[in-house]
Amino acid sequence: MIGNGRDVGSTGVDVLAADLLRGHTDTIVLGLLRRADSYGFEIFKRIRDATGGRHEIKEATLYATYRRLMKDGLIEAYWGDESQGGRRKYYRITDAGRAVYRRNVAAWTATRDIIDVLLDLDERTGTHDGRRSS
Amino acid sequence: MTIPSSMYVHRLLDEAFAGIEMSPDRQDLKEEMRANLVARAAELDAAGVAPQAAARQAVDELGDVRGAIDGIEPDPTAAGWSQHRVRPDPVFLVRTVLGSALAATGLAVLVLAGTALDVPIAAQLAAVLAVALAAGAVTADALRQETTANHPMPTGRAVGYGIATVLGVAGAGAGWLYLQDAGLPWIVGGALVVVASAALFAYLGATQTNRHKEWVVRLQASHAEVGDRFTRDPAAAARFGMYTVTTWLVVLAAFVVLTLSVGWAWSWLAVVGGFVAMAIMIARMVFPEHR
Repeated sequence: MIGNGRDVGSTGVDVLAADLLRGHTDTIVLGLLRRADSYGFEIFKRIRDATGGRHEIKEATLYATYRRLMKDGLIEAYWGDESQGGRRKYYRITDAGRAVYRRNVAAWTATRDIIDVLLDLDERTGTHDGRRSS
Repeated sequence: MTIPSSMYVHRLLDEAFAGIEMSPDRQDLKEEMRANLVARAAELDAAGVAPQAAARQAVDELGDVRGAIDGIEPDPTAAGWSQHRVRPDPVFLVRTVLGSALAATGLAVLVLAGTALDVPIAAQLAAVLAVALAAGAVTADALRQETTANHPMPTGRAVGYGIATVLGVAGAGAGWLYLQDAGLPWIVGGALVVVASAALFAYLGATQTNRHKEWVVRLQASHAEVGDRFTRDPAAAARFGMYTVTTWLVVLAAFVVLTLSVGWAWSWLAVVGGFVAMAIMIARMVFPEHR
């Protein structure tokens, strides 16, 4: 996904980051719902604003995420009172959802540490094997 | 009057869902999208974007709804639709009942004044005002409500209809007061108010836009197709014209012959026979057996 060869520009980095983000959409949504119930646009906005607008998860992706999380029993939905623009569908995290969130965060932390180590491997081991590239 | 961005969202969302077979789950998603789009459009609105552009941008950002509904199966059952019907707001029902009760009381006072009791003209004037204001308020309030088949009318326009109703009823009430010996200015003033009401109704009617929901529009279109044979099949329309002329020529001839032979007492049966033949012919041509 990263631009091949000479130029690994900001676009390539963005694409990689977006792909990584997409893989963790479920956990991100669960994390947002931990503190308070929320509805679609609010969730979308908090993700967008938290990254300073640099990354946003497509709304269509989020709708699929809500469906998947509900099917798995990790969140549940209820309709709010009628507002001027219609009824808002709120999502609430379940106990199972909180457990999955904690497990996913632990898994991500462990993975991140391993990746940090692996990406830095050359730096750490280069002096020992003498095959460090210039 | 300014149309809020939410009204544009309703229309654009209906357009986005046009042609998609609906089901309770898909309708559920559509309603969820609607509230989110309205919130996004309101955010853009607050940032200074024009209402129509704000709604368009919100819907564009959403992307293709067909992607979002992937995995939700269509299941258009009657039971499913009934789950999504819009229930009347209880507070609205209370307001309507109270308004109607006020109007009924006013009408009762006026009827009593015209028949049995000697009601002072000031009390009758108060009764006319009560009826007019109650009718206007109930009208505007009802138009502001979302129904299963219609989007709610924008507040400004609903108030316009309410004012037109107040003027119309008040004008009629002024005519009533004139009949109760209130003097000539009442009938003149009443007539002017009625004209103003008619003008306002005409303006509102002429500038009215369609606020039916998409599923209603599609339902109407599918119903219209049933009786639309002559538009789709000009040859059938031509045949129908020739059959009609022939039928009534035969009826006329039979009428004349029956009148001359057995007399007026029976000749009208020819005309009845002609109507029966026409009814059967219309039924068979507009609603053919093999569609």
